[in-house]
Parts: sequence; C-alpha cells; structure tokens
Amino acid sequence: MINLLPLIKNETIKIIKKKRFYVILLILLVLVPIFTYAQMRSAERTREKFHGDWRLEVQQQITDNENSLGSDRVPDEWKKYRKIFVQQLQYYLDHDVNPNEPNGVTFTREFMANSITLFIPLLIMAIASDIVSGERTSGTIKMLLTRPVKRWKVLLSKLVTLFMFSSLIVVSAFIITYVVSGAVFGYKGFDMPVFTGFQITGSDVDLSAVHAVPQWKYLLMQGGLIWFVSLTIASLAFMVSVLVRSTAASIVVMMAALIAGTILTNMASAWSSAKYLFMVNLELTDYLSGTPAPIEGMNLSFSLAVLSVWAVAALIISFLVFTKRDILN
Amino acid sequence: MNSSKWIWRVVSIVSVLATVLLLAGFVYAIKDIQNPKAAAEQSSPSATPQESTGAKSPEAKKDLKIAVIGDSLAKGTGDNSGMGFARRTVSELAKDSGRKATLLNNLGINGLTTTGLLPKLEEKGTQYVLGQADVILLSIGGNDLFQGADLATKGISGTSNPGTGTELDPKDLLKGLPKASTQLKAILERIRAINPEAWIVYVGLYNPFGDIEELKIPGNQAVASWNQSALQTINKYSSMSLVPTFDLFQHNLDKYLSSDHFHPNGDGYQQIAERIVQGIR
Amino acid sequence: MNMANNLDRKEQVVLSVEHVKKKIGRKWIIEDVTFDVREGEIFGFLGPNGAGKTTTIRMLVDLIKPSSGMIQVCGFDVNRQQEQALRYVGSIVENPEVYSYLTGWENLEHFARMQPGIDKRRIQEVVDIVRLDQRIHDKVRTYSLGMRQRLGIAQALLGRPKLLILDEPTNGLDPKGIKELRQFIRELADGGLAVFVSSHLLSEIQLLCDRVAIISRGRVLAVGQVEELVAANAKYVIWELEPAETGRRLLAGQGIDVIEQADAILDDAIIAGMGPDAIVTRMEEEDISAAVKHLVASGVAVQGVHQINPTLEQLFLKMTEGESID
Repeated sequence: MINLLPLIKNETIKIIKKKRFYVILLILLVLVPIFTYAQMRSAERTREKFHGDWRLEVQQQITDNENSLGSDRVPDEWKKYRKIFVQQLQYYLDHDVNPNEPNGVTFTREFMANSITLFIPLLIMAIASDIVSGERTSGTIKMLLTRPVKRWKVLLSKLVTLFMFSSLIVVSAFIITYVVSGAVFGYKGFDMPVFTGFQITGSDVDLSAVHAVPQWKYLLMQGGLIWFVSLTIASLAFMVSVLVRSTAASIVVMMAALIAGTILTNMASAWSSAKYLFMVNLELTDYLSGTPAPIEGMNLSFSLAVLSVWAVAALIISFLVFTKRDILN
Repeated sequence: MNSSKWIWRVVSIVSVLATVLLLAGFVYAIKDIQNPKAAAEQSSPSATPQESTGAKSPEAKKDLKIAVIGDSLAKGTGDNSGMGFARRTVSELAKDSGRKATLLNNLGINGLTTTGLLPKLEEKGTQYVLGQADVILLSIGGNDLFQGADLATKGISGTSNPGTGTELDPKDLLKGLPKASTQLKAILERIRAINPEAWIVYVGLYNPFGDIEELKIPGNQAVASWNQSALQTINKYSSMSLVPTFDLFQHNLDKYLSSDHFHPNGDGYQQIAERIVQGIR
Repeated sequence: MNMANNLDRKEQVVLSVEHVKKKIGRKWIIEDVTFDVREGEIFGFLGPNGAGKTTTIRMLVDLIKPSSGMIQVCGFDVNRQQEQALRYVGSIVENPEVYSYLTGWENLEHFARMQPGIDKRRIQEVVDIVRLDQRIHDKVRTYSLGMRQRLGIAQALLGRPKLLILDEPTNGLDPKGIKELRQFIRELADGGLAVFVSSHLLSEIQLLCDRVAIISRGRVLAVGQVEELVAANAKYVIWELEPAETGRRLLAGQGIDVIEQADAILDDAIIAGMGPDAIVTRMEEEDISAAVKHLVASGVAVQGVHQINPTLEQLFLKMTEGESID
C-alpha cells in the first residue's frame, strides 16, 4: 500500500518540469500589462473629461444610464441592469465613495471580476486539460498504470495536484494583477470601502443590507468565489481530460462550453432552464457586487449548488471511467 | 539535482497556504452574501475625507465651469453631431471671448418633466455637480407642455412625424400649465439654493407645432404664458436669465427643427448656444 | 546448462494465465490463451503482428481487463489485487515511453516513488545495470532510441521484480544492439528472474528462449520448450532432381507430401539457397533412402538431397498455414 503523498509529489514535479505553470504565469505577465495599459488610457481620458473629479464622472454615468432607460431600443433586460446599476452608483455618490477609484487594488478587483468567466477558467484549463490526456498522448500512461498502485489513487493524486495548482493560479493572478497595475495606479487602496449586500428584488435594489467592507476583505471574498469557480472548472476539464485522448481536443471541448456560456448569459433570460447549466452560473462575484443574475431565480446558493452538482458528477464520471477503462494505446 | 525536492517543498507549502486563504475567503463571502446584515455594523462609512477634488482650487477658478441639466434639449437630442447647445455653448465661449470654458456634466435626460427633475435635485450627485458650476444651463418644461410629444423623444429621430403632434388636443396644452409653472419656480429656487453664486440660464420654450394649423395658436399661447411665468421667477434673482427661443423658431421651423419635428437640429442648437453666450457675457 | 537450473525450479510458477479471453467491441481479440511462466526462464511469446500479443501483454499488467479467465502473478490476481500482483512485475509495453521533459534520473525517481522500498541506491544500481550512468542526468528528449530502451529496462527493474515483461524489445535496435540485449536478458534470467519476451521475429527469439508460446488470431497454438516443439515437427527435405518434373511425379506417387508453395513455409535464407527446380517435401528421415532408390531405379538423376534443420519459423508458418494475417 502506497500513500498518496509521493504520487502528488510526482504530479507536482511533472507540471512544473513540463513548464505548464510557467506558461500560465507568462500569460498573466503579458496580458495584465496590456489590460492595465488600456485601463490607464481610458482612465486618463475620463480624468481629462471630468477634470479628475470622480463625482462628475459617476453622475454622468448615472445620467447616461438613465437616458438609455427611456429608449425603446434598449431591451427590457438591460434596462433592469441599468436601473439597478444607477441605484448602486447613486448609493456610492450618497456615501461619498468612489466606486472606480484608480488604484492597484481597485483595478485588481475589477479585473478579477471580469476574469471569472473566461480568463481564469482558461488558465485552469491549461493545466487541467493536459493532466490526464497528456499522459495518454505521450503514452506514459502505460508506465503510470503498470505500477503497483490502484488506479483511483493515481487519478486522485492528479486531482489533488490540479486543485493545488488551481489555488496557485488564482492567487498568482491576484498577485500579478496587483503588482503590475499597482506600478501604474499606485499600490494603495486596501482600506478603501466597497459596498456589498445589494439585494435585488425584481428590478429594484434593496439597500437595507448594504454595508461597506474594506477593499482587502472584498478581494478576499472575491478570491474565495473565484476559487470555487476554478475548482468547478478544474473538475469539468479533468473529466474531459479523462474522456478525451488528446489535450488539444479536451481544451477545445472546454472552450466551446465556456464560450457558449458567455453567449447564453447575454441572452438566456428568456430560456429559464438554462440556469441549470454550469456556464451561466460562473459569475459568482456578481452576487458580491450586486450585479443582477442573468436569469430570474438565480442566487448564490442556487449557483453554488448547480456548480457543485456539475463538479461532483464530473468527478464521479472521471473516476468510474478511469478505473474501468481499458488502455488500448 | 535536488531541484525536485525544492519544487515539491515550495509548491506544496505555497499551494496549501493559497488554498487555506481562498477557502477562508470563500466561507467569508458566503456568510456575507447570505447573511449580509451580520456585517452591517459599519453601514455608514465615514466619508473619505482625503480627496475633496481639485475642482475648487484657485488655479481652476479661471475656467468657466458649465453644468447642464434638464430634458432632451439639454441633452442635445436631435443634433446629429451630438453636441447639443451644451457643447456648442462651450465652444462658442472659447471662440468668442477666449475664456476657457469646460463642461462639467450634461445631466439632461430624455423626456424629463418638471415632476421628474425636482427629486433629481435632491440627489447628492446632482447637487455636487451644480455646486461646482459657474454657469448652470437649464432646459425643462417642454415635456410638461407637450406631453404627447413624449413619443417623439423616445424615437430620437425618424420614428415620429408631425402626425404625433396632431393628436394633441389643443386644450390640453393649457391644462397642465399652472402646476408645471409652480414646479418650474420650485426648480429654479432649488437650484439657486444649491448654488447661490452660479449664473443660471433658463432656456425658454418654443412652439414646435407652429406650422400645424390647429396647434399654432394654442401652442403659441401656451408657450408664451409659460415663458412669461418663468420670467416672473427669474426676474427676482440677479444672476438668472432666460434665453428666449420662441422667436428663433417661430418662422424657421423647417430650418431649425430636426427630422422628429420636435427637437432642434444642429443649426437650431447652434442658434440657442449663440444666444446663451450673449446672455452670459 | 541453463536447462538443468530450470528443471530444478520447475514448480515455481511466476505467471499463470488461464483461459483468458477478451472481447473488444464485438470482436474476440483473444479467444483462449493459457500458459505459465516459471522462475528463471525466458519465455517467448511469438506471433505475427495483430495476433493478440500486445493485447495479452496489456492484460498481464492490468492495462486491459480480460473478459474472462484469470491472470495471476506470484499467486495474486492481477485484476483484483493489482497492488500486490504488480509489485512483482516490471514491464515495458510497446515502446519505452518515459517523460521526455524529465531527465533519466528524474524519470526513475518518479517511478521509484510509486513503489515502496526503492531508495537512491537502488536507482543507481539499475542505472549501472543498464550502463546509462553517463547520460542519466540529461533530459530524455536528447536520448537515442537505444538509450530510451535501456532506460525503459531500468525502470522495469527498479522494483526488483520477479517477472520482467518485454514487448518487442528488439524493435529499432541494430544487430549489435540485439545481440547485447539477448546477452543481457540471459544474465537477468540466470539471476532467477522470469523474463517474458514477445516478438514477431521468431528466429531471433529462438536463440534466446527456453520455452515459447505461439499465438495466432487470439489463440495459443503451441506451448513448450523450443527443442521439443521443433523436434515434434515433420522434417523438410529438399530434392534436386533431373529431370525435375518426372522426379516430382515419382515422389508424389510414393505417397510423399510434396509442397507446392515452399516459400510460404521455409526460412528466407533457405529459399535463397535453393535452385529454381528444387522440390520440397515433408517426410520422415527414414523414408529418404527408399525414395532415393525408387528415383534412381526410375532413371531420375538425384543431384542433391538436403535435410533442413527445423526452426521455429517453419513450425509457425506450418501451424498458421493457409491463414492470412489481417
């Protein structure tokens, strides 16, 4: 009987030596500065327009959104979003808090909120899609499975390693974003208050539970939610990696699912059973910031439940298939 | 040759720490979202005092800061260039006197009535903007008067035609007048109270239906009496003025109205802007 | 002299395969395979490509589950008690596929971690055995095929197995490499290891194996010591007669089995040495002189009579005679 730790050690060394993790860090190091630069430019422009006065900027944002409420060409769903958005902005103004105060921490917060549906899952997939199918592509799976170790242990060690790296990726994304954007926007902002607790009922926001949290705490909560999404994505990509022999194919399958998700999120409100799909439930951070969910009837516990069910099902399938399957090539 | 050992040590320790941290964040997030009131003790954040904007610094004082508030006219609906009288005023001022004028905000909202504007004035953001301004341009009342024209404001251009106007009952034009006038008075006074120093310019109404037989006379009457009652309030204050537009449009509707036959077009806005500039000087 | 050793330990069955069958899709890939491999012997598993060799080997190491039948290593069922059974097995299935982005040493460390009781010293030992110590800290990516083959053997030996399974180990090796490998395998077997070697090149295995199983189309056709199998086989005789046609008729008239398509049965080397009119027969040694007499009496000149030493290849070709390999 061999315990799991040496197996996890093996998998960890393989991921590092295969330079998968470096690639992910490299992607972050290349992309984050690009986004930072874009954000810097747009911040410069608005600063010019509003003479560095964020209140004017927020007020204009409110007015612009209110204007679109009157237009017939704006779909009702969007109007709902904007109405809620306006109420939130109003709340920030009333409490004299700049929701977009330009600093590294705010940028990190916004960037991570935008990354949760596509960018972070993509990075997770870079490891998850390869972790089993990579061994099959190279044929090393034969070496791995002819050891005196039960197959479920081999697979479990891979899963644990994947989860470890998922945590690493999420934390690295936070750190790299903060460090890079901080160089431009400054490293302050951890204590800045951020409002959370907007409760959305229909197209109205219940402000009674709104409270301020320091931004560092907000980032922590955001990180936790992104982490949960990452683990779900990791589990699903893991299953695909078990089922599909080639790494490329398994990445394509997952990408298709995620992109379908972003498209659905934008237009699914009419098809309410779409809320049981995992892809529409990825934006957990929206519950934190008070952005309305894409489909009526979704809330945090619902989304967590949907994601958990998908993840657990994916893992069950992975283990059943992997322990039973004949390795033919 | 010990690289494997180090890889393992570093990765395992860091990833376990990362996992613990993220797990804590996750638990905290669930608690916070599911049970938001639990953490509500700091529900009124101490207003961040550190940054009270450089807007009022003496250096910036040289600039003429303009704020615009009101209805679709304020917003500039109908002007294909999107400038409206707001931006046109700014550029005219610069051209004319060489004074550097900046537009703080354009708070114009399509279809806004005096009833809609009053609560807006109580909003902190609006008050802030108006408080910053040296000149406040106000356009309101058109929607109170020509309620049927709401339709026209929605389809910014093209969807409406003079036909919408003909459905107006001429008699209705005068019906809402007294109440709206009172509200206009309240609005002007409120703005004055928000910013006692700023120059307030009220853009008078014109009759967009002057070329429609059955609306011409009642329309003119309504607009005239509206402008008259506006003047009564405005005259009470020293730094307040009304920019008349009635005469501008009266015989030039073809020239100055946009295709929705309600809002001015670019040229129309330009005329209004030029008058505003004259009034400010 | 090895024979004597083997007989002593005959009872020590390391690998036993009993009536193993495997169906993939609707097709029976393995229809019935039974054999034993004993301690200290080199067991050849022979058959053409597509005969089911690799499928069988994968079942031996639990990569594929048999549809029915039982495979035991040192008394442990490979499919039910893989942790115990596979501890005694070292294997290379098809090509030795190791992690090319790791060094040879890191690869061995990786596999060592998957089995208790393998320390650094043991890794160094197997590296010395396969003589790879010069390049062991280089990335496997830079290895030649022969070096990968040796690294593969090193990983198979790591866990001090009782059974070593090598699937087509001579693939991609040059004649010198094959010779070295043969010697190496013999040394391992002399140390008490049971070695299971599969190959489709029967002649090269004949020199190596103590016992063989011949498999074709998912069935074991014969199992036994090479000498016994070959000896039990009918002998071939090549006749060179003048005139050839008359001679052929006379031989057939004697009740002797004249083979029409000799190249399907004989080794290429023998066919190459035959004259164009040579006649191949299958007959017993003692009947040769009677046949010669008969031919001479009938006025046919006998220019040559050669008896062919039996080989595994001939045995195999005869057993699968008339079957085409798909």
